[in-house]
Amino acid sequence: MANKDVKPVSMDQEIEQLTGMARDEAILAHQDKIEKEIKESTQLVSEKMPLSVLADEFKSDPVYCQKIDDLLTTHRFIRKTRGDGNCFFRAFGFAYFETLLTDKVELHRFIGIAKKSKEELILLGFPAFTLEDFHDTFMEAVRSIQDKPSLENLVETYCDQGISDYLVVYFRLLTSGELQKRADFYQDFIEGGRTVKEFCSQEVEPMSKESDHIHIIALTNALEVGIRVAYLDRGEGGKVNCHDFYEGCIPQTTLLYRPGHYDILYS
Amino acid sequence: MAGSALKRLMAEYKQLTVNPPEGIIAGPVNEENFFEWEALITGPEGTCFEGGVFQTELKFPTDYPLNPPKMRFKTEMFHPNIYADGRVCISILHAPGDDPMGYESSAERWSPVQSVEKILLSVISMLAEPNDESGANVDASKMWRDDREKFYRIAGELVRKSLSL
Repeated sequence: MANKDVKPVSMDQEIEQLTGMARDEAILAHQDKIEKEIKESTQLVSEKMPLSVLADEFKSDPVYCQKIDDLLTTHRFIRKTRGDGNCFFRAFGFAYFETLLTDKVELHRFIGIAKKSKEELILLGFPAFTLEDFHDTFMEAVRSIQDKPSLENLVETYCDQGISDYLVVYFRLLTSGELQKRADFYQDFIEGGRTVKEFCSQEVEPMSKESDHIHIIALTNALEVGIRVAYLDRGEGGKVNCHDFYEGCIPQTTLLYRPGHYDILYS
Repeated sequence: MAGSALKRLMAEYKQLTVNPPEGIIAGPVNEENFFEWEALITGPEGTCFEGGVFQTELKFPTDYPLNPPKMRFKTEMFHPNIYADGRVCISILHAPGDDPMGYESSAERWSPVQSVEKILLSVISMLAEPNDESGANVDASKMWRDDREKFYRIAGELVRKSLSL
């Protein structure tokens, strides 16, 4: 893959002189520093804020400004998530759980799916001891929505890094499970000559790996939970384009996409 | 989540004791502290490390298995993917996120459904098939490429040393 052979040796030496570290170590140290800065500057899941905060962020950018104006005609609030590579799973999980606070019928349906998902993952070959803790934490979070449906609790759960990350892991596993279960169907979407299983172990199961359309399609299909994604990008036309996942669904929540990141939108 | 990490490590230890993979013995150094393990790895058959028994240590972070352990050979080694101080450089041991090491895209990555067993099996395949593109030990990489005979000789000596002969 990497053309290590053509890499100029002198650059490595230069990096080593400057940082006292080998090239790879220096890159990793720099990455750690960036990650730490992101961690300190944003919560995992923020409070609900007026959408105008986004307009402020992009006020020097006419393309985005025009699109945010368009968005403001249909949406008024945003809840931001931390940009740590898990933002799709965190935004999806929070937004969906938030709808479960007031939808008993859907909650009942979801508990059924969540319960039996563990057995399905074990049948796909995941060792039980690697799943159990994630499944337990997930079920606990879902059951606490049933026992004590409070938004405050949900925010607290999602801002507790330990629990919040475990929920992300389980959503990643549900996504991986769906991809592997219907590998024949999903294989065509995977680039780079990889098998579905390889793709899952490299791009879905590891934390911090960013989500692509295929992750979203798989997760929304697996749970039969519809979402709408509004795209805030550089595309022409001044309007925010929306796309619903899974196909033909009735969206239960809306996420805002800007290149590389997902947040939650409210009308 | 140190409680979750401990629970998981105990489950993995049990698994490895009940059903040990060939060529591997692993467990906590003492059962008071499950976050530091020792693993003995047998050099894979048919390779220049055959017959050696190599001592390694694994140190687990408090958020394991969200992040992988750090692993180090305590026995002296000479190998393209092992640093001079014994640290092991393979893709499965890297924290999630992007890895600048130029691993092949097919390389295994750390994820919370990996395990100690998977790491140790990856280390055994690393001993059998060094990756000379990841230059943790540049001298060893060079020798592996240019003077295989000499590499084999050094490996043979390390095997004998590992058995304290």
